[in-house]
Amino acid sequence: MKSTLTNMLCRFLAIAMVMLPFQTGQASMIGTDQVNSAAAVQLDRNVVLNYLSRSQTINQFQALGLDAQAARDRVAAMTDDEVGTLAGKIHAAPAGADGGGLALLVLVVFFIWYFAFRR
Amino acid sequence: MGLRDTWPAGVAVQAELREVPFFPQQDYQCGPAALATTLVHTGAQVTPEELVKWVYLPARQGSLQTEMLAASRRYSRVSYQLAPRFADLLREVAAGNPVIVLQDTGVGPIANWHYAVVIGFDYPAGELYLRSGETKRLAIPFTVFEYTWKKSHYWAMVTLPPGRLPLTATEPGYLAAISAMERVGEARAAISAYSAFLERWPDNVVASVGLANRYYALGALKEAEFVLRRAAARHPDSVVVLNNLAQTLSDLGRNDEALALIERAVQPDESPFAAAARDTHALILRRMGRSK
Repeated sequence: MKSTLTNMLCRFLAIAMVMLPFQTGQASMIGTDQVNSAAAVQLDRNVVLNYLSRSQTINQFQALGLDAQAARDRVAAMTDDEVGTLAGKIHAAPAGADGGGLALLVLVVFFIWYFAFRR
Repeated sequence: MGLRDTWPAGVAVQAELREVPFFPQQDYQCGPAALATTLVHTGAQVTPEELVKWVYLPARQGSLQTEMLAASRRYSRVSYQLAPRFADLLREVAAGNPVIVLQDTGVGPIANWHYAVVIGFDYPAGELYLRSGETKRLAIPFTVFEYTWKKSHYWAMVTLPPGRLPLTATEPGYLAAISAMERVGEARAAISAYSAFLERWPDNVVASVGLANRYYALGALKEAEFVLRRAAARHPDSVVVLNNLAQTLSDLGRNDEALALIERAVQPDESPFAAAARDTHALILRRMGRSK
């Protein structure tokens, strides 16, 4: 199942790369993103990798309870680097959640112990 | 790191941003609450409830760091992750910028990730002040705070309006932050951000190109020309600047000037942008042929 999906994706990307050379909307203005990328040779490779990271992250977001549109919108606000770092690691990444009432109490007890007995 | 012993040089010993708003968090939603705190402080019209749809992950019952940075951009704020240093955190707060931090208030193997907003500190008292969870003003000793903050590798961020640079911003870091904001923020916001950036680092060619591209996209060709001319004066050999300036001038109907510039741009053949420059060259020649 996974390999079928990968196959289809690779075919799609191969066609997409032939048909859509990396360009910005304007005829001949060189885009800011292009200037930011150090070498043009790296560019095509990065486009593919980035596409894969983005779809992977969108899928994981959906698996974590977001609807398809929300998942796409949220990934759209991330940079290529951010998506690259996050892809495949969403389950492990820290997710800030709790006010920490109970845990803070535990922490206070820990510090009382630490300062009273360890010193 | 011993803040009690060595206070960072040049930082006030006391500061508190009392006017920073407070949004008590709902269940598990300290991410949206913390983000609303700093966004509303900068004048954005937003509520924690609205931010839930941008930063809350139901199955994780929490918010990811990347999303905290990304969501701010939707409100045309430049989100900037601070260097992992206590001194930088203090400097930002002292400069009037409340800082979102990620803490782990758990102990040992039990992780309990939590976002809070640092709004002040008092060196003589040895305390930091936070908007945290359901507490409007949580006073927490430096040592305890550092213990909880260390586990996120001292993760901290600010969300600032586009014209206002973080005090501790670095040139590459802040440039990346602006270009990230451009993805989903307003065009006008990107213009203010790039302009402020260029006031601080006037030699940066990427920021000049970015600012000019924003003007160009809005149809403000005269402004784009002004920015690119200033950049060309500082970087006379930049193919990108020459190309974009030639394109802008050509769009303004000044093809003779454009041609002189683009002929300089197509000379160095090894530039990664040589192909784009040749396209522009051809376009200008076509336009000149048409007008004759």
